[in-house]
Amino acid sequence: MNGWLVAAATLLVLGVGPALWGAATGPVRRRVVAQNLATLLVCLVMLLLAQGYARPAYIDLGLVLSVLGPAGTLVYARLLADELAAVPPTARVARAMTTLSVAAPPLVLPLCVVTGPGRSLAKLLVIGALLMAGNTVSGRAMAGGAHLQRETHDG
Amino acid sequence: MSKKARLWLLAVGGIGVAVLLAFAVFDLPGFGGTSHPYGDRAVRSALARHTANAISSVNFDQRAFDTLGEESILFAAVLGTVVLLRETRDEHSEPPEPVHVDPPVRRYALITLPVTLLIGLYVIAHGQLSPGGGFQGGVIAATALHLLYIAVDYKALEHIRPAAAYAVADAAGEAAYVLLGTAGLLAGSAFLANFLPYGTLNTLSSGGTVPLLNAAIGVEVAGAIVVLLARFLDQALEIEGGGAGGPRRHDEEGRR
Amino acid sequence: MADLLIVLALTLVVAAATAAVFTRNPARQALVLALLGLALAVVFTVLQSPDVALSQLAVGSALTPLMLLLAVRKVRGRGRHDGRAREPR
Repeated sequence: MNGWLVAAATLLVLGVGPALWGAATGPVRRRVVAQNLATLLVCLVMLLLAQGYARPAYIDLGLVLSVLGPAGTLVYARLLADELAAVPPTARVARAMTTLSVAAPPLVLPLCVVTGPGRSLAKLLVIGALLMAGNTVSGRAMAGGAHLQRETHDG
Repeated sequence: MSKKARLWLLAVGGIGVAVLLAFAVFDLPGFGGTSHPYGDRAVRSALARHTANAISSVNFDQRAFDTLGEESILFAAVLGTVVLLRETRDEHSEPPEPVHVDPPVRRYALITLPVTLLIGLYVIAHGQLSPGGGFQGGVIAATALHLLYIAVDYKALEHIRPAAAYAVADAAGEAAYVLLGTAGLLAGSAFLANFLPYGTLNTLSSGGTVPLLNAAIGVEVAGAIVVLLARFLDQALEIEGGGAGGPRRHDEEGRR
Repeated sequence: MADLLIVLALTLVVAAATAAVFTRNPARQALVLALLGLALAVVFTVLQSPDVALSQLAVGSALTPLMLLLAVRKVRGRGRHDGRAREPR
């Protein structure tokens, strides 16, 4: 078991475990945030596993999750809109999501350095960019109700 | 049958299954052992056919007939859904109200749509080389189109989604698979036999018929998912009246 | 030690599946099911079957939630109001 696999195991225990708890309990808004966080973390776990098992082909798993994960979150944001608008995520949650979306790409960087130039590096960079954009946007979509309400109060 | 008798029947059945499972578990080879008789043969065969992804070689070459069965299951399931979720005589269709979507979310969806579509096509095209193939890629491509509903508007999705065209694509993909199988028959060997040159290992054109069968499955699955979701979306957003909606309250009262 | 990842991933699957069974509201259940799908994808990957993991991710991350939530919306019967009409629950 090498360092990459240890990192993946740590991320599973400290990240995905709590996210599962968050998605299984509490109000809807917390569950949606937890689910979004879980897709982000599992995407990183996939990349770490690809490096740990020395199988560049496994990067495709992360690539697919980096586009479908935010799409899934947008599905919840769209179809649970009324429940999210009734109890919108607090500003703290929205901030945490933005922080995470900015924090994710640097986690891809060490993988990029180890991979070296080539097709895998290009994929990793694309995944990093997609994760950043996707999580910023899904954070915004979840807080969408809050934004709108504030706008109407102001106006 | 009384409640007690039913419980007894359930207990007997449950115990029977448990016993069979226990016997099966004790007969399994150890977890993570080194002996893989089937795996070794499948991998050797896959390499002999110049297919880098052994799973694709099993699915679309060594056991291509099984995949035809799986594909037909999806085809039949979607056909059944289309029949069940059609607009009945006591229902009517109304266009859904437009929904306000945050502009950045809308922009993100419009930019990611082609990217997701491209990833789907990449997964289909590289099925013989790396994990993936027609099914996975087809689902990703079909999901890509629905970003338009998720983050833009249902109207926008309906513009690029003439459901009839996708139904034709669904059937064409299924037909292409059977025709490719028949081509193997005409080439002088067996149904779904690999009749094309195997090409160079680890290049896009390797694997003989594997990439072609993958493409057929990709078209079939993408068409099937789009048609399936079209029925779900129409039911949830446009079709009013009939069984759902209003009468629900009566149902609940009836049950009490 | 090498099996640690398999044990961890299987534990996550068991926890997520149990949570999915005990979540009775279908809309919330869809969220737990999404996590169950992710945990299954990790299991398949650590067992070195990325093809299956990719199928799981493709189907489980956006398609299944979309179908489930559309079905929930239809059953609750607030079709074209697109989430604005509210019923007492």
